[in-house]
Amino acid sequence: MDRRLRSALKGLTDPDVERRRRAMERFVRATFETFLRYLYRYLGNEVDCEDVLEDVYADIWENPAHLRNIGNERHLLRTVYLYYMRNYLREIYRRRNRHLHLSQKGLQRLVSPDLGILEMMSEAELREALHRMLNKLKARERRAIELWMEGMSNRAIANELKTTVDAVKMLKFRTILKLKKLMVDYCPKN
Amino acid sequence: MSDTNRTIEKLLDDYMEALRDGCLPTFLKSLSRQEARLIEDSEEFWEAAQMARVLNGAGFADQAVTPNVGLFISRVDAEIGSRLKKTTPLPRSKRGTGARHATKTIR
Repeated sequence: MDRRLRSALKGLTDPDVERRRRAMERFVRATFETFLRYLYRYLGNEVDCEDVLEDVYADIWENPAHLRNIGNERHLLRTVYLYYMRNYLREIYRRRNRHLHLSQKGLQRLVSPDLGILEMMSEAELREALHRMLNKLKARERRAIELWMEGMSNRAIANELKTTVDAVKMLKFRTILKLKKLMVDYCPKN
Repeated sequence: MSDTNRTIEKLLDDYMEALRDGCLPTFLKSLSRQEARLIEDSEEFWEAAQMARVLNGAGFADQAVTPNVGLFISRVDAEIGSRLKKTTPLPRSKRGTGARHATKTIR
């Protein structure tokens, strides 16, 4: 783990309030980007991500007990997600869920799911696994996913693949399920 | 998202679009009762949704990185300050003092 992050983590449990506040500043600098990227998976916009993170950091400052024996960055991310982020992810849309048809349980599963094998991987590991597994797909399947990740609309993808929008939706759905299976099979071996 | 009887692949597609565009609440609001039930019962949807989140993080999280960490730190510091104020008890002299009591008597 980065030396600055380790020292900031140590400082978070300092009994002196001012020292803890300074340690929090170092902690935010060291982790902000990683946490923001992680939250972005679930929320998809930085305004909500920053709102959640603001409360997450304040909670960590108030009660840093869960971060006492952190060994590496993956462990840190997992602990922060389980003990600090998840509550706020659940909260953020719960208030807006009064008139929705999706049950609270369904909403929770959608915005603050349990940690699966893919969520436990670091970003670098994920990128590498994704790169490898995309290469295992058929050319058409890979192209559909790559075009979507480039930010193209379904209509644009359909034009590119010379097919219909509905066929693109079905292709993406099947390909994503296939990709998920490939990723899960790949992870335990590595 | 005006269709109210979408199939599971269309629902996943709309979820992916909503994640990519950062408007998840719009997707949640668009769900009809029937579609919500379809999602909840479909294991395939949950599997695919997990992968969609991973793809969203890998493909688009770069857009989210705010360069001004300093500004964000001041937000966190203000939040900590406000929580500190809430938890720190007021000094005794500012609670019920003789002066306040005197004002009451004058009235």
